[in-house]
Amino acid sequence: MTTLSALPLASVDFTTLPQQLVNGFLLGAIYALVALGYTMVYGVLKLINFAHGEVFMLGSYGALFTSWMLGFGPGGNEALTGSWVTLVIMLFGSMLVSGTAGFLIERFAYRPIRNHPRIASLITAIGLSLLLQYGGQIFLLQGGKQAINSKVNPYADDLTFNLVKPDQKLAAEAATYQKRVDDAQVAKDKQFEHEPDRFNPSPLGVSLEKTLNELKEKQSDITNKANLTAVTLKIPKGKLIMLTAILGLMCSLWYLVMKTRMGRAMRAVSVDFNAASLMGINLNTVITFTFILGSTLAGAGAMMYSTFQAAPIDSFSGAAPGVKAFVAAVLGGIGNIPGAVLGALVMGIAENLVTWSGYSSYRDAIAFVILIGVLLFRPGGILGSNKVEKV
Amino acid sequence: MKIGGSNLNLIALGLVVSGILVGCTGGNTSNGTGNNVAAAEPDTWDGTEAIKIGCVTSISGDNKPWGTDQLEGCKLALNEFNKAGGLDGKKVGMVEGDTASKPDQAKLAAEKVLSQGVVGIVGEVSSGNTIQIANSAKAKGVPVVAVGATRTDLTKDSPHVFRVCYTDAFQGPVMATFAFEKLHIKKMAILTDNFLPYSQGLSDSFREKFKALGGTIVADEKYESGGKGLPDYQGVLTNIAKMNPEGLFLSGYFTEVGPITKQARANGIKATFLGGDGWDSDTILTSAGDAILGGFFCNHYNNLDTSPEVQGFLTKWRAKHGGSDPSTTMGALGYDAMSLTLDALKRAKTKDSKGLLDAVEDTTGFKGVSGEITLKGNHGNPPKKAIVVEVTKKNGANWQKFAVSYTPDQIK
Repeated sequence: MTTLSALPLASVDFTTLPQQLVNGFLLGAIYALVALGYTMVYGVLKLINFAHGEVFMLGSYGALFTSWMLGFGPGGNEALTGSWVTLVIMLFGSMLVSGTAGFLIERFAYRPIRNHPRIASLITAIGLSLLLQYGGQIFLLQGGKQAINSKVNPYADDLTFNLVKPDQKLAAEAATYQKRVDDAQVAKDKQFEHEPDRFNPSPLGVSLEKTLNELKEKQSDITNKANLTAVTLKIPKGKLIMLTAILGLMCSLWYLVMKTRMGRAMRAVSVDFNAASLMGINLNTVITFTFILGSTLAGAGAMMYSTFQAAPIDSFSGAAPGVKAFVAAVLGGIGNIPGAVLGALVMGIAENLVTWSGYSSYRDAIAFVILIGVLLFRPGGILGSNKVEKV
Repeated sequence: MKIGGSNLNLIALGLVVSGILVGCTGGNTSNGTGNNVAAAEPDTWDGTEAIKIGCVTSISGDNKPWGTDQLEGCKLALNEFNKAGGLDGKKVGMVEGDTASKPDQAKLAAEKVLSQGVVGIVGEVSSGNTIQIANSAKAKGVPVVAVGATRTDLTKDSPHVFRVCYTDAFQGPVMATFAFEKLHIKKMAILTDNFLPYSQGLSDSFREKFKALGGTIVADEKYESGGKGLPDYQGVLTNIAKMNPEGLFLSGYFTEVGPITKQARANGIKATFLGGDGWDSDTILTSAGDAILGGFFCNHYNNLDTSPEVQGFLTKWRAKHGGSDPSTTMGALGYDAMSLTLDALKRAKTKDSKGLLDAVEDTTGFKGVSGEITLKGNHGNPPKKAIVVEVTKKNGANWQKFAVSYTPDQIK
């Protein structure tokens, strides 16, 4: 472990780097689902849908209420545990809520002013975002932040990969302490059963406690030394399932956009709005479809974020992921589907690298620093240029 | 015309949808105390009184469990005062202001009650919001009696700000001393919520004392609960898990601490969790699950305390709330802040803001539920005892087990 002495807390520990990269990749995958919605809507309408973060928020509530209906609500049966069926139902619940929200937003807020100057749509988008945030304060639960019951996820245990094993000698030494620590613990617990106040024990209790603590400390010192030589990777099984689901969704999206009639229509609209209309493409259908598609993906992201990352939910909880995903979409080149995914992964990994380097307080600033940096040299984003086919 | 119609449709639809959602869930969300308030007895004021006091607090938003308790505590104190004869036979009124748990709205709420001519303000439960209220009240010279705002520099250079709680300069060292001396923790990790002035101040005082005692801080990480920050703790928890600390100090609010402790256990962190009075809400039990059990935090008083002040207060509270105890400590602190203000108003030479300010400043040995409060010569920061409680499984209303109590003299 290298420690920079001038910055005592800014330590970089290369043994945690693989873990942080994985953390970043998993976070980036969720950003990607949200970023796709921004980029697709921009592709067909040239509109930045600022209410997309709120669609995400409504999706989280969709997942929350679905889990409550399945019996994981407050005051529900304590013994109930989830299965993959629970997770799938929650996923569909949240996708349904988000998809409906996206449909309604397009139908009632954007369509009536589609032929007005573009600034009107932009202001409507911002207004809608605020309406949903503050309106949600009144209508959605008022008891503060909610969280999805962790019991819905049966795959909480980790898959552990030992990339580099801990130093054998140190590990063996640490193991020799285990029996002595256990014995001391038993002796102490036995004494403390009779102690009236565990924080003011009798002299015998004090001495037993002292022995135990000294042993524990020695053991933990050696264990720590051993751990610092090891590189382990822990991935919760739930997150692997999440990643598989995200990849599945992205493959279906690719199929939809590249291989179906509707996808071809979407691509046509993104190339030339008016010409596509003249060729007999029903613009309203295509735009509605795009909104539903983008919102459904955001809903899936919301379900995964609130279930597997245990993120608290309130009516403002869509704002931060929304901004991050928007930045990711611009970073990758807004309007470009692979670009949005790439941008999101870059963002997720970059954020975790900042944390890894010991500057966790600057984590959220890095998103914008990267954005400015990329846009200075590639104004169209990483993959964005006028020649790339946009959707 | 079309636009207007469509937007109305949207709003109407929103109303219907959310009506359904609230309808589904209304039966099982009784996490505040507001739900079972007996409607039988009306309040003793109607807002037409000549002398009014503002009660500004988080009636909605994240800190609602605290805000509603403060409001109920204030009402209890004022009703009692008015029934006992009021101010020379005249009743005193109260104006409510809702900060929605947000600093920008706290400013608006303070200005709203100030515009209605209140002589003093009681509130808020959080430091960030109290700073805004204090700024608004400063120009008019209206005294502010904070309820649960513990940030140390809150009263500095603000002679019109007082509080009825201890400060973070005391609370942090209490937890550091407890962790080091009673739990025998040598290696500590700290996780601070950079969005909260409260959390930053508390972490600072904790860190300083823990180092002074001879402990080591092995990890010092930050997250942000509001603004543009994202509630993702995976990265910081990976860093902390690697250092294998014996204790993890979480100085944020219960809203974030619950999910963090759950994720920390999932990341293999075996440390004992410690925190400040920001943990004090029973919703932490549901958001953290079993992870939080066995954690310790600093609080102001305990419902199981047998002193006449505490038991007398609880009897009055239960009579009004269908037999249930206040779920957070803000009920008692709100009651203390309002009673202290009314007591000062009685003693004030002139019954205006200036007279009230001088009288509050002059408070000596006021017997509050949360202990004796002396503001005279203390620059608004009363020296009070702090208690450390352990989080246990909910048994009736009680989920905090008393562990140790510290007086200011014990922490030097």
